[in-house]
Amino acid sequence: MKLLARTNTYYITFSIIAYVALTGVFYVVTEFVIYEEVEARLQVERQDFEYYVAEQGVWEESCYFVENKIALQAMPDTLAPLEVFKDTLFANRYDEEIVPFRQYSFYKVINEQPYKVSIRKSLIESNTLLTFITLTMVVLLGIGMFVLFLLQKRVSKKIWQPFYQSLSGAKSFDIRHGIGLKMPEEPIHEFQELNQVLEKMTHKIAADYQNLKEFTENAAHEIQTPLALINSRIEELIQGKNFTDQQMYWVEEIHTSSLRLSKLHHGLLLLSKIENGQFYEHELVNITQLAKSKFHDYQEVFEYKKLDTDFIEHGNFIVEMNPALADILVTNLLNNAVRHNVVRGSLQIEISSHQLVVSNTGESIRFAPEKLFERFKKQHQSSASLGLGLAIVKKICTYYDFEIVYDVRDNLHTISIVNSRAE
Amino acid sequence: MKILVVEDEKGLAESITEYLSKENFVVEVVHEYEIAHEKISLYTYDCIIVDLNLPDGSGFDIVTYAKQQSASTGIIIISARNAVEDKIKGLEIGSDDYLTKPFHLSELNARIKSLIRRRHFGGTNIMNYQEIRINLNARRVFVQDEETILSRKEYDLLMYFVSNIEVVLTKSAIAEHLYGDDIDTVDSFDMLYSHIKNLRKKLAEKGCNDYIQSIYGIGYKFGMG
Repeated sequence: MKLLARTNTYYITFSIIAYVALTGVFYVVTEFVIYEEVEARLQVERQDFEYYVAEQGVWEESCYFVENKIALQAMPDTLAPLEVFKDTLFANRYDEEIVPFRQYSFYKVINEQPYKVSIRKSLIESNTLLTFITLTMVVLLGIGMFVLFLLQKRVSKKIWQPFYQSLSGAKSFDIRHGIGLKMPEEPIHEFQELNQVLEKMTHKIAADYQNLKEFTENAAHEIQTPLALINSRIEELIQGKNFTDQQMYWVEEIHTSSLRLSKLHHGLLLLSKIENGQFYEHELVNITQLAKSKFHDYQEVFEYKKLDTDFIEHGNFIVEMNPALADILVTNLLNNAVRHNVVRGSLQIEISSHQLVVSNTGESIRFAPEKLFERFKKQHQSSASLGLGLAIVKKICTYYDFEIVYDVRDNLHTISIVNSRAE
Repeated sequence: MKILVVEDEKGLAESITEYLSKENFVVEVVHEYEIAHEKISLYTYDCIIVDLNLPDGSGFDIVTYAKQQSASTGIIIISARNAVEDKIKGLEIGSDDYLTKPFHLSELNARIKSLIRRRHFGGTNIMNYQEIRINLNARRVFVQDEETILSRKEYDLLMYFVSNIEVVLTKSAIAEHLYGDDIDTVDSFDMLYSHIKNLRKKLAEKGCNDYIQSIYGIGYKFGMG
């Protein structure tokens, strides 16, 4: 839910509750005031009545021709309890319309005969007044609240404007540009603070990332250049004819070792680059097509090792990832399946829309299977393999949230890579 | 053929120069960015080899500048950075090839030769070595006018040999040329061995002399002696 929508919802809910309550209170208050007024007038009329009776000694109905205005009722005594003020209804004399009255009752002894006197006043004008006043207030209140709502909407939109600017600024932050965000000055203290924090944070992130990137680049340059020199010098060295076989063997050993060192360094750098998230270019990669073409490239090796191979395709495994990493992932898996395979063994790739399964024959591993994906974990410490292939595979899988499962049954090793985010 | 090497690591530059001089290239070396600029603006080279990491500038700028000066110059980038982005960027701004350090000098040599062949003999392109004639466009090989049918890998192998005549080539250099970095060295050495055996056999069948010499423990040499 959006921030503005949320504040609007709160505002509307509160307004409606307040509106209903205010309307109720207003109605009650107006009604109370009107009754007070009517009762005050009734009491004045009582005084008129008593003055008349005191003067004349009798009460004549005809004095008050208005119907139902004052009614006298003879009573045996003045002991029965009496409701002083009371709402009653009387039918209109002419059109039988029922009309509300307010009635004021008291006892009066005229000529030693107690009477119950009821003075009444029609409430019809007062009710109309009440209705009109209430209606007017309800409408005015409604309009007022609506105007306030519009105002609040506009104001909060304007007030939150810098926040949305900061938000879109933070969204557009790209670590690759190597610089942090530049935020505008804000007059509102909190937003100014937010912008400052964002600026500081992004600058720090960008600087850290740049450092890291430079470090890996420098590490590559500083180590690979001397290795390049060693190798090229060795190549020149072996052109000479005055070496004994023994010396030639040594030179070749130096050569392979330095090449190995270089590959090892590349592998370790790759691991740290994946870990540091230095592969930021992502696109949709069709792993099925990639695996198929790699599978094709490996035909010669398969034939050489006399492997019984099978490529089973159920669908296109499409993921958004860095294409170079996708290539490394598939290559390393295939390499692993070939390297640890046995002559006349089997190798099978099964691929569907969400998983890649590589299974191959091979001797059983001598260490705990969960250590398979650790770096430098090798079957034979002396083997030519670098011991980084599966560690890199694992790292790539972790980076992209793929599930990786290893299983072995009757010397058939299976590595499955599952894209759990696929449907 | 004139080649300019732009490489700040003096030992490596020297080593490249010596190797390429033996292949009858005229090689000039510069270690600095500014001087490289100057040289490129003054002279025309058939091929420029540029290191990306120079102390006072980026190799990418040199590539761009060299392309502006003379579009026909072949450019090969050599870099310690093994990043795909760098390779793509290099190719986008006009370089023809990208080699990651450390590389084999024989590989660099083969790439320069292939680049120069592509640039200078666009049309019919025939290479001869003794009685061997190679039609580069059709990828067909003849021994004294008689064709010998080679597999793709055998052809690549022969091309690598004739690009590096009388040079001792290590097994790893040849294997890497044929299979790239990816395939396991143990398997590739064995496969290489069988390819060489087949190539020898196929050439010999057409009456070709055996120019492939095994060098104990190291690799092979293609040539007369």
